[in-house]
Amino acid sequence: MEENNAPFPAYGDEVIQAEGLRKIFALSRRQRALEKTNDAYRIAVDGLDLRAYRGEIYGLLGPNGAGKTTTLRMLSTLIKPDAGDAFVCGYSVCKQPDKVRDVIGFMTSELKLEGFFTPSYLFDFFGAMHGMDKAKLAARKKELFVRFGIDKFAEVKVKDLSTGMKQKVSLVIAIVHDPDVVIFDEPTNGLDVLTAKVVTDFLLELKAMGKSIILSTHIFSLVEKLCDRVGIIIDGKMVADGTLLQLCGGMTLEDRFFEIYRETKGESV
Amino acid sequence: MKLLALMKKEFLRFFGDPKLIVTMLLPGILIYLIYSLMGTAIFGGEEVYHFKVYVTEHSAAETVIAQTVEANEGWSIEFLELGELTPEEAVAEVQEGNADAVIVYPENFDEGIASGGGFDSSLDLIYNSAETQSLRVYTILNAVFASWARPFVLTASDMGESDAFGMQMMSGFLPFLIVVFIFSSCMSVTLESIAGEKERGTLATILVTSARRSDIALGKILPLACVSLIGAASSFLGVALSLPTLMGVSIDVAIAGVGALEFFFIFLLIVSVVPLIVAAIAAVSTLSRSVKEASSYTSVLMILVMVLSIVASFVSGIGDWVVVIPVLNAVVAMQGALMGAASVWMCLTAVALNLVYTVLLVLLISRFLSSERIMFGT
Repeated sequence: MEENNAPFPAYGDEVIQAEGLRKIFALSRRQRALEKTNDAYRIAVDGLDLRAYRGEIYGLLGPNGAGKTTTLRMLSTLIKPDAGDAFVCGYSVCKQPDKVRDVIGFMTSELKLEGFFTPSYLFDFFGAMHGMDKAKLAARKKELFVRFGIDKFAEVKVKDLSTGMKQKVSLVIAIVHDPDVVIFDEPTNGLDVLTAKVVTDFLLELKAMGKSIILSTHIFSLVEKLCDRVGIIIDGKMVADGTLLQLCGGMTLEDRFFEIYRETKGESV
Repeated sequence: MKLLALMKKEFLRFFGDPKLIVTMLLPGILIYLIYSLMGTAIFGGEEVYHFKVYVTEHSAAETVIAQTVEANEGWSIEFLELGELTPEEAVAEVQEGNADAVIVYPENFDEGIASGGGFDSSLDLIYNSAETQSLRVYTILNAVFASWARPFVLTASDMGESDAFGMQMMSGFLPFLIVVFIFSSCMSVTLESIAGEKERGTLATILVTSARRSDIALGKILPLACVSLIGAASSFLGVALSLPTLMGVSIDVAIAGVGALEFFFIFLLIVSVVPLIVAAIAAVSTLSRSVKEASSYTSVLMILVMVLSIVASFVSGIGDWVVVIPVLNAVVAMQGALMGAASVWMCLTAVALNLVYTVLLVLLISRFLSSERIMFGT
């Protein structure tokens, strides 16, 4: 990774601090027709606060269109908040996006690597994109490829790999630069059960490595299995968050979620 | 380092795919085949020629012309002084196919050649493009006078029917064909370069690295332009190699007829058009949400380029203002070069402007890459 001369900021155990994040999207005529609205704008995220701590898996739970992906995109500097700010490892996503990019790994289950290249080449390519030097990159490749069993097919073209193997390669590539925080949008969305298991095992492995993970999902079982804490997001607002125990109070996550949904929207599903 | 890594990846993607390499080489092969076939259709069949040319007086030029003609096996030439014939009667002979050309030398032509000018510089040549043999001798005479009789300005008059499918028609069509072939080869490598990455989600993974947007844009366009230059070189070779067949003469005569400077300009124009087209398609690819969408938009762009190129190729009297229109400026300048009369300022201005447009497009793509709406459809 490129030499970072800035003093490491003191952020304690809070690796992500989001304060009043807000994102508004202009609606095209086509989108307005689809959503049956005359509004020219839609508030995707509305004053969202969020805290995630070192070494935990934080789940952002909500229905489709609730603002989960938009929140994660703002945290990973892919899009800019219209108001508010978020700090990742102490760096502002608004003012220091380059610094934020050095400390995060961004993943999505929709990532499809180019079939022509080998895992080894793609790992080196993304390492170079993060500005890593060759020696560090080689050591990191050896470590991760052995740890996740990629070393056996490191020189096989991606197109010739099984879906599970491809997924492993995608995951490893996202953490090539050894980020402190991993942001994962819908980790198991659209994956078959075997590949989904590869992903969930990988996330637990990352947690064991001391990484902080924030993921978005609408799958209750995934949150229950993986997450230490969960935030429920509805209509762009964080309506509840805490540990599973604090949040559910003896109920199942699914029942508690729909209870919160009813309380928030004033209607049942 | 990041720029180099991006460029290396694009190069590897291309050189590791034999299909893409073939696609790149196809334009030149097609141009060569089409124009060679057209040349064979016009000149083919007869292999033995005896050219009959009327001259107002005998000149030392005849030796050079005869040597060039006789360099082709089975070809010979006869120079006949007008004698009893009036120039009008000689022209009528050419029109009827009884003679192949009339050369009207200015007074003291040979002295003018020896001294490098200083005399009446007009030199007239009358031929008939409707007659294959006449068209062939015209090509040779044109080439010889262009290289050997430089101080003199050759004025050629075609006595052929106006609907004869002659050289001018083909010279007009060739730049259009070159641009279309270059466009299609650029399209095959560029179309999916950014839209494909967007569709696969790999672009977002690159965007969350600390690579600059301008590096990403350049890292895509530079290698694609280099790769497309292979297509351009192939097109250029196709043109150069098919010209002799097209003109019905040997390669040295063809080169002398068009001119080395003109060939150089054609090459420069092709080199300037390739990165421009690559950048334009890359911009469309960046704006599109998928490769399919990029393909539809690029087809529209291609039709637009084709229509404008056809207009530029066949509508005479287009003003110099055309030099500011990207791609078209190259079509018009190439036409001039292929007729052996390249406008130096037009060629150089077209090349310079096309490169400026390319830089502007790269900057535009960098901005597109920073746009949330374009990258994520928000």
